[in-house]
Amino acid sequence: MNENIPIHEYDVVIVGSGIAGCSAARELHRNGKKVAVITKLHPLRSHSGAAQGGINAALSKDDEIDLHMFDTIKGSDYLGDQDAIELMCTKAPETIRWIERMGAAFTRNNDGTIAQRPFGGQSKPRACYAKDRTGLTLLQTIFEQAHRDGVTFFDEWYVSDIIYKEGKVHGVVAYNIRDLEFAIFKSKATMFATGGYGRAFKVNSNAHANTGDALSIVARHGLPLEDMEFVQFHPTGLAGSGILISEAARGEGGKLFNSEGERFMERYAPNKMELAPRDVVSRSIQKEVLEGRGVGPNKDAVFIDLTHLGEKVIMEKLPELRDLALTFLGLDMIKEPILISPTAHYSMGGIPVNIDGKVRKSCSDFVEGFYAAGECSCVSVHGANRLGANSLLEALFFGRHTGESILRDLNDKKLSNPNVVFEDAKRALEEVEKILKSNGSEKIAKIREELQESMTNDAGVFRTKESLLRQQEKLNELKARFENIRIDDKSKVFNTDLQEAIELGHMLDYSFFIVEGALIREESRGAHYREDFPNRDDDKFLKHTIAFMDENGKISTQFLDVALGKFEPQPRTY
Amino acid sequence: MADAIETKKIYLKVFRFNHETDYLPYYKNYEVVVSQDEVMLDVLNKIKWEFDSTFSYRRSCRHGICGSCGIKVNNRATLACKERVFDMIELFGNEMTIEPQSRKRVIKDMVIDKKDFWDKYNAVKPYMITAVDEHPDSENYMSPHDYENLKEADICVQCGNCYYACPSVEVNEDYLGPASLAKTYRFNFDTRDEAKIDRLDTVNDLGSGIWDCVKCYECAEACPKGVNPIEKITYLHTQTFQEGRAKSNVATRHAVGFKTSINMHGFLDEGMLVAYSEGIGVLKHLPEAFKMFRKGKIAMPWNMPKSKNLDEIKKLIKSSSSAKF
Ligand SMILES: Cc1cc2nc3c(=O)[nH]c(=O)nc-3n(C[C@H](O)[C@H](O)[C@H](O)COP(=O)(O)OP(=O)(O)OC[C@H]3O[C@@H](n4cnc5c(N)ncnc54)[C@H](O)[C@@H]3O)c2cc1C
Ligand code: SF4
Ligand code: SF4
Ligand code: FES
Repeated sequence: MNENIPIHEYDVVIVGSGIAGCSAARELHRNGKKVAVITKLHPLRSHSGAAQGGINAALSKDDEIDLHMFDTIKGSDYLGDQDAIELMCTKAPETIRWIERMGAAFTRNNDGTIAQRPFGGQSKPRACYAKDRTGLTLLQTIFEQAHRDGVTFFDEWYVSDIIYKEGKVHGVVAYNIRDLEFAIFKSKATMFATGGYGRAFKVNSNAHANTGDALSIVARHGLPLEDMEFVQFHPTGLAGSGILISEAARGEGGKLFNSEGERFMERYAPNKMELAPRDVVSRSIQKEVLEGRGVGPNKDAVFIDLTHLGEKVIMEKLPELRDLALTFLGLDMIKEPILISPTAHYSMGGIPVNIDGKVRKSCSDFVEGFYAAGECSCVSVHGANRLGANSLLEALFFGRHTGESILRDLNDKKLSNPNVVFEDAKRALEEVEKILKSNGSEKIAKIREELQESMTNDAGVFRTKESLLRQQEKLNELKARFENIRIDDKSKVFNTDLQEAIELGHMLDYSFFIVEGALIREESRGAHYREDFPNRDDDKFLKHTIAFMDENGKISTQFLDVALGKFEPQPRTY
Repeated sequence: MADAIETKKIYLKVFRFNHETDYLPYYKNYEVVVSQDEVMLDVLNKIKWEFDSTFSYRRSCRHGICGSCGIKVNNRATLACKERVFDMIELFGNEMTIEPQSRKRVIKDMVIDKKDFWDKYNAVKPYMITAVDEHPDSENYMSPHDYENLKEADICVQCGNCYYACPSVEVNEDYLGPASLAKTYRFNFDTRDEAKIDRLDTVNDLGSGIWDCVKCYECAEACPKGVNPIEKITYLHTQTFQEGRAKSNVATRHAVGFKTSINMHGFLDEGMLVAYSEGIGVLKHLPEAFKMFRKGKIAMPWNMPKSKNLDEIKKLIKSSSSAKF
C-alpha cells in the first residue's frame, strides 16, 4: 500500500453531505472558511432525500413554540434535553422560512403560506411538507445552495478513521471509492454528519448506506456513545421490505385494522387512536400480530386503510406512497388496504454532543476540534422516542447551528493547529489491507443477514433480559466469525465487496452498544420496551446512558443527567 | 395479495467489466429465483450476495428516491429498485440482459463514470438564484398554482436514465440533455428565482441547448419519476420567445412552426413543428416521426384535436408575441 499518501489541509472537514452536513458546510464557507465535505455517496443521494412526511415548526397562528416543545418532550418520554429542545423549537419557524427562501418547494395553502399537516404525537398540524417528498426538496435545496456558494465536495470517498490524539481530533483518513487511493484530510475542526444506524435490523426503512460507520469509528478510539438502546420502530413499514409508508398516511386519516376487522388502536390509545406516537402504535401492531390477529401471507402484518380518502386526495397528497405500495406489494391504496408492519427507522442514540455540537469525551469533558450533528449525533432532542417530522428539523437546524459554533471556535482561536503524520493513517490502511488479504471461509452477506435477523428478533420492538443476553452471545459469535471472512474482490476499482465488509465491521461494533444499553436500562421508556420491566422508572433511569468500549470490546456505562426544564415528567398517555 | 408467496426463475445475462483487470467486457449468466414482492435491485443484490461478491453497482435508498441504481434491462432504462421483477417478466419473459446505463462510460459492471452528466447539471446553474434572507421572519408567498407549475420537475432524482437514453446525447456530446434541461425548467418556472434570462442564454445555444432535442420522447419513457423532460424542454422553447431571447436560426423557424401550430389547433403539433423548422430536411426525422406517431404523440392534421380554449390561447400568443419572429 502506498506510503506517500497525500495530506489535504482544510479549516473544517465535514463527513456526510445530508441535510446536516450541507447546512453546516454552507454556513462555514460563506464566512470565509476553507471547507471540505467528504461523503461516500453523491450528496444528492444521501438518505435525507428519502424523508417523506414533513418538517415541524410552530408556524401557524394557532400554534405555539411552547406547545411544540411540550409535544417533543412528552414524545421523548421526558428523556429529551429540554435546553436543546427549547433552542430547536424556538428556531424552527426561522429555519423553515430560511430553507424556503433558498428555494425549497413546499406545498402551499391558498393564501400562499406554507401548508402544514398533522403528525403523530403533535397537538397541532405542524409538519410543513412538500407532498410526500419533503426530504428531497430540503436536501436538494441545501445542497444546491452550498454548491452555489462553492463548497468543495469529495463524493464517493469513504471515511474510515479519525485522527485522534491528545484529546483532539486532527482530521480524518479517507479513500476514494473509485480507485482505493487514500488521503489524509487535516483540519482544525472535524464534524460528523453521517446519518443513522438502522441497517443493523432486518426489517428497516433505511438506505443501504445507513451503516452507522461514524459511531464505530468514534467508539474504537474509546470515545463514548449515548443512548444507543433507543431505536425507533416506525409502525408503518411495508410488509416484507420494511420500506417506509410515511406517517403522513396516518396524518391524512389512515385507519389500522387487524385480521378480525377491528380498529385495534381503540384498545391501546383511545384518544389519539392512529395518531398516537410511533412507539405506542408499533407495539400495538406487534401485539396484535403476536396474539394471532395479523394478516398477510406470514400473518405478520396489519392493514392500513386509506381508501376512504379517495383518489383525488391520495394523488394530491400521497402520490409517492401510493407508488411505493404498488411497487413493493402490488397493492393500490386507492382501491384496497395495504399491508404494514413495524420497521426499524430512526436512531435516537449516537455520538454525544452538547447543545453547540461539541463531542463529549466523558460525562463532563469534550474533545477538542470535534463536532457532530444530525441523526448520527445525540444532542438529545428526541430522548427515548422521536416525534415524526422533528428529525429533518434537527438535521437542518443543528447542522447550521453546529456550523456557527465551529465558526465561533475558529474565530475565537479556540482550536489549536492540527498535527498529522503519515503514521496516523495506519489503522485505516491496516483495516483495508487485512480485509483485502482475508482468506477465511465466512461470507459478508451471511454474517450481515444473521446480525440483522437476530437484532430484529432479540433486540427489537419487545426486549427481555433473556433475549438481550442471547443477542449478546450472538454478537460475540458473529464478531468471532467476522475475523474469518473472505472477500472475493481484491481489486482497487469501486470495490463494494471491501466496503460492505468494512461497514459490517461497524454494524457489529455499534450493535454491542444497542444491546448493552438495552440490558442496563431495566425499564420501559419510549422506543425501548422491556417486557420484564414494563414501566418507566424515573428514579433510576431518567438519565442518558454514556457507554465506552475498551480495547477488548468490553462496554462500560455511565449515566448522564437529563437537562430538565419547565416541563416536569408526567405519565405519558395518549 | 395471494396467500402464499409466489416465486419464479429468471435467466440473466449480466454485463461484466473491471477496467483495472479486463481488456474487454463480457457477459456472465446467472439463474436466480425471484419472488413476487421483489424488485430488480433485489436481483442485483442476489447476484452479489449469493453468486459473486465482486459484482458492483451503485445503490442506497432502496425505494426510488436517491437515484443511484439506474441500469438497463434488455436495453430498457430501468431504476432497479423501482421495477418489480414480476412486471419485468411480464414485459420480457424470463430471460433478461442486464447492462449499465452506458456501456462506453463503464468503470466496473453497472458502475459508470457520470462526469459528463454532472458537468451538464452544473452548467445550468442548478440552484435558486436570489438574495437569501439568512434570518427571515416570513416565507415567500407562493400560490398553490405556482407551486404546481413546477410540474414535478423538482422530483428529478438525477438518476440519469433519461440522459443515457437520449439519442441526441448519444450523437452530440455537447448537448445538455434532458435532465439538466428539466432542472433548468425547475428554476426558470419558479416565481422566486431571479436568473431566468441567464439560464435561458445558456440553454438557448445551438448545438448544446433546447433546440437540439429531436423530440423523440425517449426521456419521457425512460424517467422513473414522471418528470417528463421533453415537456419541460418545450416550455423552455416557449419561454425563450416570451422573454425575447431566441436567436435567429433553425430555432426561429422552429418557433414560427410553434406559433402556427398553436394558432391553428391550440395544441402543439409536434410533427408540424419539425416540418416548419427544417423545411425539406424533415425527411431525416421520418423514423422518429413514425415512432411518435406510433406512440400517439403526432396526430394527423385531420385528426388534430382543437383546444376548447383556442380563442384564449390565440389571444395569449398575440399578447406574448413581442419577440420578433
Ligand atoms: C424513509 C425515511 C423517511 C423519513 N421521513 C422523515 C420525515 O418525514 N420527517 C423527519 O423529520 N424525518 C424523517 N426521517 C429521518 C430523517 O430523514 C433523517 O434523520 C435525516 O435526514 C438525517 O440527516 P443527516 O444529515 O443526519 O444524515 P443523512 O442524510 O443520512 O446523510 C448521511 C451522510 O453521511 C455520509 N456518510 C455516512 N458514512 C460515511 C462514511 N463512512 N464516509 C463518508 N461519508 C459517509 C453519507 O454519504 C451521507 O451523505 C426519515 C427517515 C427515513 C429513513
Ligand atoms: S425528447 Fe429530446 S431530450 Fe428527450 S430523449 Fe429525445 S432528444 Fe433527448
Ligand atoms: S428526469 Fe427522470 S430520468 Fe432524468 S435524471 Fe431526472 S429522474 Fe432520472
Ligand atoms: S437505490 Fe435509490 S433509487 Fe434505487
